[in-house]
Amino acid sequence: MNPDTLKYTEEHEWIVEQRGIYIIGITEYAVEELGEITFVELPELGKRLERGEDAAVIESVKAASDVYAPVTGIVAEVNDVLEMEPDLINRDPYGKGWILKLKDVNEEEYNELMDSRSYRGYLKTVE
Amino acid sequence: MQYTPLLNEYERQGGKVVDFHGWGLPLQFRGILEEHRWVRQQAGVFDCSHMAEFVIRGADNIRSFSNLVIGDLVNLAVGRCRYTALLNTSGGILDDGVALRLSPEELFLVTNAGTHDAVSAWLQRHIPEIEDISGDMAKIDVQGPRALQTLLKLGFAGMETMSFWAGRRCQWQGMDMVVTRAGYTGELGYELFVPNNGAVALWRALMALPEIMPCGLGARDTLRTEMGYPLSGQDVDETRTPVEAGLNRFIAWDTEFPGKPVLEKQRESGAHDTLVALRSMDKRAPRHGFELRHDGGVVGVVTSGTFGPSVGYGIGLGYVPAALARPGLQLEAGPRALPVVIETLPFYKQATGRNPIEISNPKQGGDANV
Repeated sequence: MNPDTLKYTEEHEWIVEQRGIYIIGITEYAVEELGEITFVELPELGKRLERGEDAAVIESVKAASDVYAPVTGIVAEVNDVLEMEPDLINRDPYGKGWILKLKDVNEEEYNELMDSRSYRGYLKTVE
Repeated sequence: MQYTPLLNEYERQGGKVVDFHGWGLPLQFRGILEEHRWVRQQAGVFDCSHMAEFVIRGADNIRSFSNLVIGDLVNLAVGRCRYTALLNTSGGILDDGVALRLSPEELFLVTNAGTHDAVSAWLQRHIPEIEDISGDMAKIDVQGPRALQTLLKLGFAGMETMSFWAGRRCQWQGMDMVVTRAGYTGELGYELFVPNNGAVALWRALMALPEIMPCGLGARDTLRTEMGYPLSGQDVDETRTPVEAGLNRFIAWDTEFPGKPVLEKQRESGAHDTLVALRSMDKRAPRHGFELRHDGGVVGVVTSGTFGPSVGYGIGLGYVPAALARPGLQLEAGPRALPVVIETLPFYKQATGRNPIEISNPKQGGDANV
């Protein structure tokens, strides 16, 4: 995934639409903050998530952190590989370390999210 | 922000510097997990120069100091270390530390960075002649099964005869140093107290050895948590007594210390909180500040928690009422009701710290402790 083409939240999730399915992960900044990830708790397939609702839990050596649904939608797929290899998120946050996919998403919410340029500007305000 | 003499060294080695009680120290170099495992198998080096050191001279001053802490330091043998705690008048723990009897007339005391200013002022009020040498001393910890081997390679003489929790003066490249066989990881290890101006030379000499990896605060925390060692300011502080913190074996009840009536009352009644070890059933960890629940009610709090790399599950320390402190009891921790079970310490039971030294030929050094 090319980070320039993704949408972002202020909680450092990324999301991108591909043929009606929305792929979600966490950003490199989030990964840096969390450190080495040791455990990922994924949502149930078919679960409806409201925007801002807990979608997954990521635990690192240092901390536990929630992943929030960037938009409202239904869980279409989860990255099961993370249960065995949670550090895939550290190694490839925009690729093999994706976390979940949503369908039937509220597109208006999606369009409101930051693009990569806005997100980079936002990062300057939080660093 | 304060820095140790080694700032430039670890920045060059990729150390990720964070604020620890006002000190800029490396959180990690190559990664917490890798550093942790290296210490359990090889030897890791930690910059602990932020910690505080004091020298107490003379029998009267040593006696005065002994009356401020839970242990008997008057009768501490020359060359021996003792873990102890400094108490306020209600028996709360101002700080914990290690005292070394350097000579009949000298006690060397090591305490923590976060409490340094308060503890230094408090000590000087009680013992005006105490010497605070924190500003002059660096401290480099070498920890791991191969720690002895590395020190012998560097030419530290006589290390192989030091027993667990021994300490003494030593010389290295003409510098006067203090060394203790102690540490905060559970592994065979040494703490090297070196003058600030010698810290870089010692650090570089260690880093040139293949057994050595620089390690940060992150691994230090996971290693000590696996052993159940309390962290001052987090697991023990002024609101907790040594009886609550499970430090009874370090209390000399026949000596005087501040807050003694409070501790005696707790010991007799048994009605107090107790520090317990908590383990999770999987890799999720209880975390600092998590509430502990039992039968639907809040019964305590988690003070430390992390994933334990060498045990493979989440571990932590926390306080519950003594009546609930039963190994095997299940509690729920934190907002997601993580199931945790009360365990006995240490979590990691294969640590090498207390192992006797076995050396075929100490002069060679290279084959030591393999």
